[in-house]
Amino acid sequence: MALLTVTNATVQFGGLIAVNQVSFGAEPGKVRALIGPNGAGKTTLFKAIAGEEQLASGTIHFQDQAIHTLTPHEISARGIRRTFQTGGLFGELTALENVLTGLHTQIPSSFGGLLANTRSAKAVEKAATKKALKLLDLMGIAHVAEQWARDLSGGQKRMVEIVRALATDPPLLLLDEPAVGLAPPVRLELMNIIRRLVDEENIGVILIEHAIEFVMTVSDTIMVLNNGEVIAEGAPEEIRQNKDVLEAYLGR
Amino acid sequence: MKLNRSIFWIFPLLVLALPLVLNQYLQYVVNLILVYILVGVGFNIVVGNLGQLAFSNVAFFGIGAYASGILTTQLGMPWWLTVIPAGLCGALAGCAASIPALRGVRLFYLAIMTLAFGELMRWLYIRTPGLTGGSMGLTVPEPAVFGWMLTTEYHKFYVFLFIVVVVVIATSRLLESRIGRAFLAIKNDENAAAAMGIPTGQYFLLAFALSGFVVGIGGSMYAALVGHLSPEDFDLIQVILHFAIIMVGGLGSLIGSILGSILITATPEVIRHFEWLVGSEEWIFGVSIIVVILFLPRGLSSLLAKVNSIFKDRYYRN
Repeated sequence: MALLTVTNATVQFGGLIAVNQVSFGAEPGKVRALIGPNGAGKTTLFKAIAGEEQLASGTIHFQDQAIHTLTPHEISARGIRRTFQTGGLFGELTALENVLTGLHTQIPSSFGGLLANTRSAKAVEKAATKKALKLLDLMGIAHVAEQWARDLSGGQKRMVEIVRALATDPPLLLLDEPAVGLAPPVRLELMNIIRRLVDEENIGVILIEHAIEFVMTVSDTIMVLNNGEVIAEGAPEEIRQNKDVLEAYLGR
Repeated sequence: MKLNRSIFWIFPLLVLALPLVLNQYLQYVVNLILVYILVGVGFNIVVGNLGQLAFSNVAFFGIGAYASGILTTQLGMPWWLTVIPAGLCGALAGCAASIPALRGVRLFYLAIMTLAFGELMRWLYIRTPGLTGGSMGLTVPEPAVFGWMLTTEYHKFYVFLFIVVVVVIATSRLLESRIGRAFLAIKNDENAAAAMGIPTGQYFLLAFALSGFVVGIGGSMYAALVGHLSPEDFDLIQVILHFAIIMVGGLGSLIGSILGSILITATPEVIRHFEWLVGSEEWIFGVSIIVVILFLPRGLSSLLAKVNSIFKDRYYRN
């Protein structure tokens, strides 16, 4: 069963068609990469899935339910979490608080409970903090828990963002250029983390990335967009040989 | 030095002894500071925590003050019974003020719209003399708590201190919880906050309502303190004063709101206290704001954060 099914999705900005009749699916335990030149419509497609952009036509279904009419926070609560190309972390919060924000929907303390500082409100917060710390520890970044997010290094920021997105155990993760600006060893580590999540936790991942070797190594399927349209789709090796892709993406 | 957070209790306890050393006038100044602490704490929720350039604070302040004034004069309610309703009126005004923000108005556009809201309310106070006394103002009867008349500044002080401590603790609890984190998340990146499952619209409404509630209670205390409300009390000068409080204290800092209100409220009064300085209140006041912002761009709270980390952990964000 497909986790996510995008059918004939079209996103328009006035006269400009940013995404044109795009259809694809995402499955649990698989990495699907979206590649293409700048302005191809990759991030717009991400935004449409996350509810930040409205579809002009077409549908998006997640776990067999239509989500293209929902707001971003409703879609997030259904189990689609994303990371951002730039600046997605909350710089004025610590790394730990960032992850706690990721757990927002799982902290059910009531307004009255918080005001009265009741035992149950404290217990809920404590449990969430424990979970957040455990997640940071799993990614090997527990030591930065109390640091302001804006003071972290590029690699640490990316890890915190991924931990934050994964905090609620979402079935589908959207990663927008996760490898950008990362040093080779950190990239390798990130690649291993993504593969581990997909293979062991059975999470579905959709990935936008320009680092072609990263994409080729980590992905199960690659979809190539150009001018808002899908020009090729297939396994990494097929895409590497595809003439249209080489022309559009590599300018050859 | 390692300090426990219970040290915060020292401040209200120390302050309890103030009436022993202050004359009526200085006690009045301290009471005014207590009023402005709530004004600053409430204003900071929207500007410092939610990160919105919204200047509707003076409207909340005026609405809270007039709500208490009208309920005591027109309905004959004792003042203490009007405090919560004044807060609720402020909260309602907060909901109204959040409408432009909920429709996506941000930054300077939001600033001018919310400033207009404050001016609109001032016009309303003038144009409804039957309720508010119009431009002549509204004389508020002497406040009473459980039949006990607050005839002196000392009496008012203890009641005000109690209210301020309760409201500040309640606000602090909310700001330290998932609610405060959601406010800061929205301030830092609205889209990312929504992507975490935070219903941003609801939190906008909550922040404005909370701000209106706290400032509305400050307004109610102001009515009890000055005994006479007039529309000029809630003009654009007040906007600058409120803004100065949170800027000098520290944006998004609860302790900053308190420090800012002490400095901004007390400075002109302290200057007036020294005969040889009379006549130079304005420029000393102006220069002192400039000096603080110049050397402590993150406000007085940043100074405190350097003194000890307990102030830093919880409230200091910059």
